[in-house]
Amino acid sequence: MTEESQYTRKFRKELMAGLSSLVLLAVLARAGREMYGYEIAKAVKAEGEGGLIFKQGAIYPVLRSLNATGLLHSRVEASAFGPPRRYYDITDDGRKALSEWQYAWRDMREFVDDALKAGTVPAGVTPDGHAGAPA
Amino acid sequence: MAMPAHPPDTVSAYLAQLRRALKGAPAGLISDALADCEDHLNNEISQNPELSETQILASVVETYGTPEEIAEEYRDMESTISTPFPKAEPADERRFGFFNVVSDPRTYGALLYMLLSLATGIFYFTWVVTGLSLTIGFAVLIIGIPFALLFIASVRVLSYVEGRIVEALLGVRMPRRPPAEPSTDQGLWTKIKEAFSDVRTWSSLFYMLLMLPLGVTYFVMGVVGLALSLGVVGGSIYSLITGEAHIQIQDAPYLEHMLHTAPGLIVFALAGILLFFVVLHVARAVGWVHGKIAEGLLVRL
Repeated sequence: MTEESQYTRKFRKELMAGLSSLVLLAVLARAGREMYGYEIAKAVKAEGEGGLIFKQGAIYPVLRSLNATGLLHSRVEASAFGPPRRYYDITDDGRKALSEWQYAWRDMREFVDDALKAGTVPAGVTPDGHAGAPA
Repeated sequence: MAMPAHPPDTVSAYLAQLRRALKGAPAGLISDALADCEDHLNNEISQNPELSETQILASVVETYGTPEEIAEEYRDMESTISTPFPKAEPADERRFGFFNVVSDPRTYGALLYMLLSLATGIFYFTWVVTGLSLTIGFAVLIIGIPFALLFIASVRVLSYVEGRIVEALLGVRMPRRPPAEPSTDQGLWTKIKEAFSDVRTWSSLFYMLLMLPLGVTYFVMGVVGLALSLGVVGGSIYSLITGEAHIQIQDAPYLEHMLHTAPGLIVFALAGILLFFVVLHVARAVGWVHGKIAEGLLVRL
């Protein structure tokens, strides 16, 4: 991601703002048990083509905000070494939100894909970079 | 972010940079962010025992993010988290003016805190005075050092509990995690030195001592204010209904005379209601001031 412009980074950030909540709910729902922050950070496979899509450090504030809105439940447990661990678990509200958000995301993705297919590829340039390919 | 800081190569350097990047944010948010970060870095280190701290920190900046990026994430997130009390809208404040205080949840939280603080204040004060005296007394004995450590740990837990009370009743953002113990493999002496050189240990102790006079003052203000204002209103209305004089003011005959006339009693009742609102305003102001005191003295950074 080193070569990306300021605009692209801002764009990625804005895209991630809502989606990170969806991803974290999905991870916890799939795990079906409580997990602590570091475990969740490792479970989120955030490798993209150009490097990391999502910094692990950004997960923690999202977990806190999901916890504050009641979509996640958390409890603190003292650990043998280091600071106490905060375990997160998905609530019923969280599951409901997850299933609704999945549909919202699918709709959105189709809409965006359609829009990209229909209009934005400039005349004569295919995604492969070949000039003048027949449509 | 204007100056590209030299990348941190130790956990404490990373935390120091994060703290700098979060400067100006609510103290509770800073302490949450530092706790999350410290936890993650400790896990990273214990998962990769073959790597040195410097190597791990170099990869952490890539995977976890730079301190500046992390600071930004927390700032963004804080603005969307709902705090215990919704932030008062300044527009409303103006519309209802002076009497708006009656519909502000912070008023009642503060009032409750004022009444509660007598009990907590006495408890904290007793705890600290007893603990300090015993610590000094035991200092010459073999149990002196473990006792001092135990006492300091108890003060940290009490500070955390007080922080939760302050956040719930006064709406000031306080740490949402229990205090983190320094890693256990440190020697006894390092622990002691750390505890004694930590400003927050001393400021927490000071806060707990301060809570006795503050608690007594708050309690008296709350009880006298409520009793006087509600008593005057209730007494005046009761006298109006029954036609008997119940309020007696012996040193002021002209006031006494007023209390035997219906208009005088109505004026008194209105004055009592006004006084009640003044008390509510005072309670809210005390809550605000005390929130600042607690934030300044209790939050460990």
